[in-house]
Amino acid sequence: MLTKILSASHFGLEITPVDVEVNIFKKGFPGFNIIGLPNKAVEEARERVKTALDNSGVEFPQAKIVVNLAPADIPKEGAGFDLPIAMGILASLEGVKLPDEKTMFFGELSLDGSLRHTKGVFLLAVGAKKLKVKHLFVPKESAYEGSVVEGINVYPVGSVNEIIDHLNGVSVLTPISPKKIKKEKDLTPEFDFSEIIGQGQAKRAMEIAAAGGHNIFMQGPPGSGKTMLSRALAGILPPLTPEESLEVTKVYSVTGNIPPGESLIWQRPFRVAHHTTSRIGLIGGGSNPHPGEISLAHRGVLFLDEFPEFSRSTLEALRQPLEDGKVSITRAAGSVTFPAEFMLVAAANPCPCGYLGDPKRECKCSPRMIVKYNSKLSGPLMDRIDIHINVPTVEIEKLIPQSSKRKEEESSAKILNRVLKAREIQNKRFKNIEGVFTNADMKNKHIKDYCDIKPDALALLKQAVNNYNLSARTYFRLIKISQTIADLADEKSVEQNHVAEALQYRIRVEG
Amino acid sequence: MKQYNHKKGKSGEEIAESFLIKNGFQILEKNWKNRFGEMDLIATKNNRLHFVEVKLKVGDMFGAPEEMINKRKLIQVMRTAESYLISNKKVQTQFHNTQIDAVCIVLTSTGEVERLDYYENLTADL
Repeated sequence: MLTKILSASHFGLEITPVDVEVNIFKKGFPGFNIIGLPNKAVEEARERVKTALDNSGVEFPQAKIVVNLAPADIPKEGAGFDLPIAMGILASLEGVKLPDEKTMFFGELSLDGSLRHTKGVFLLAVGAKKLKVKHLFVPKESAYEGSVVEGINVYPVGSVNEIIDHLNGVSVLTPISPKKIKKEKDLTPEFDFSEIIGQGQAKRAMEIAAAGGHNIFMQGPPGSGKTMLSRALAGILPPLTPEESLEVTKVYSVTGNIPPGESLIWQRPFRVAHHTTSRIGLIGGGSNPHPGEISLAHRGVLFLDEFPEFSRSTLEALRQPLEDGKVSITRAAGSVTFPAEFMLVAAANPCPCGYLGDPKRECKCSPRMIVKYNSKLSGPLMDRIDIHINVPTVEIEKLIPQSSKRKEEESSAKILNRVLKAREIQNKRFKNIEGVFTNADMKNKHIKDYCDIKPDALALLKQAVNNYNLSARTYFRLIKISQTIADLADEKSVEQNHVAEALQYRIRVEG
Repeated sequence: MKQYNHKKGKSGEEIAESFLIKNGFQILEKNWKNRFGEMDLIATKNNRLHFVEVKLKVGDMFGAPEEMINKRKLIQVMRTAESYLISNKKVQTQFHNTQIDAVCIVLTSTGEVERLDYYENLTADL
């Protein structure tokens, strides 16, 4: 007997409906075959389905079973086909009655007949709604991901027996409803800004970067606190807005980064990539394209410590996504676009030994070494970074606490409050443009409509561009930073002093 | 233990033989063997040569006899069949069509036939 079950396969951030056709043939030599370009994980579903059904008290039929995954020409990936195949076999044996409405099944089976957390349920629910699917059966642990999509019944399935009982009306499962989201930060960052002594300029730059989502580049000798500053940055990032959260959750769902039982991602991503990370690991790729670190850092921060140590091709690959906020990956299987609207935080030493320009220690590098080291920081790449700061060594007197003289450093909570206010202004400003949430996300055409620059501020800007031979891109980026500084100061228009501060972060003094 | 297996196999081939004769087959060889392996039964019907593999199980303690016939086993049977045809030129010229079949028998613990299934042309699915 032939049964057709609806399921889906992931490709990029989209899903493709897949018909799982199961035929049980009582004639012929018994066997169990899966066709329709399954990958290894799908092919191994044979053993999982067989054992899971056996352990659920269903006698596996001695018959010729053919499972066809249609359409036949797209490769099928992942373990999500276990449940639809099992349901197809059960329905063919007339062990269950399938609902009349459009129903989709998805999930990985465990050998004991229970269902395991399967990645990609959030995307599946979004796609299923477009396909006008009425009921969606997914593993219990992944069901919360799908519950946030309205207009579709998502059933949390614990085991094969539960779904058999549900479909036969013995004991009915109830569709899951969205979980209450706890908005408060449950992760305290490693460092608080109050722990960092001195570095006033760097802290201010961090605040501006966090408020406007600007890229930031820090240069300084070893031990001056670059890494500490970046880690503390995680603590002053505002939580994701509901729209942003949906975008981030899509990427996290497809990579299986949503923990079991969780639904949406609320914490702004803070991704740290080691300098040995490959180009594919950072940008995304693979024969069936997978998002990389830049997409996982979408709407959040990508921190690249020891920036010049990354391989050249890896760094230069960052150029296009930094500008476009997305990355298109084309492979034989097709072309995929992943979002990559991230904030780049990069840290570097001024030279290989680290002490170039240090007032107390001598630099041991030859000029050739310094040129070679700095050649990694190519013009086009540095041009895309809005804020450049030097992080000098902290004087020892400041580090050792002297109770009378010691100045209380500002805490992350206070800075976060200012950042939140600035973000609020931005959210109001950009509420009508889709995909733009911060000043850094603005495209050039938006600047004209949304930034009110005072004439004297504009005059200063023009003068700076002429004197320092700044590029057109830098010009527009300067306006964006000035706007963020104005937002932090809670002023309606961009004044001269805002532009002056922005210029100070922009112009890179060599050496 | 091995000895017991062998004894069981013998009786399985006898059951299969009588089943085939009842269904109009002519038996050419029984337990034909060379260094490539052993062919349980070689039979003919309607000018077609059938190489028959016999599998017997007592009870369902150790799974179904069908599970014992996999791709590897089929390839081994095919090789044995080919070597049989090479060494028997007369048979080879007489029959142009050959196929590989299986007879799977399940016995109850008392030794009665619980089920007997005859599967035709297994290599068509290979």
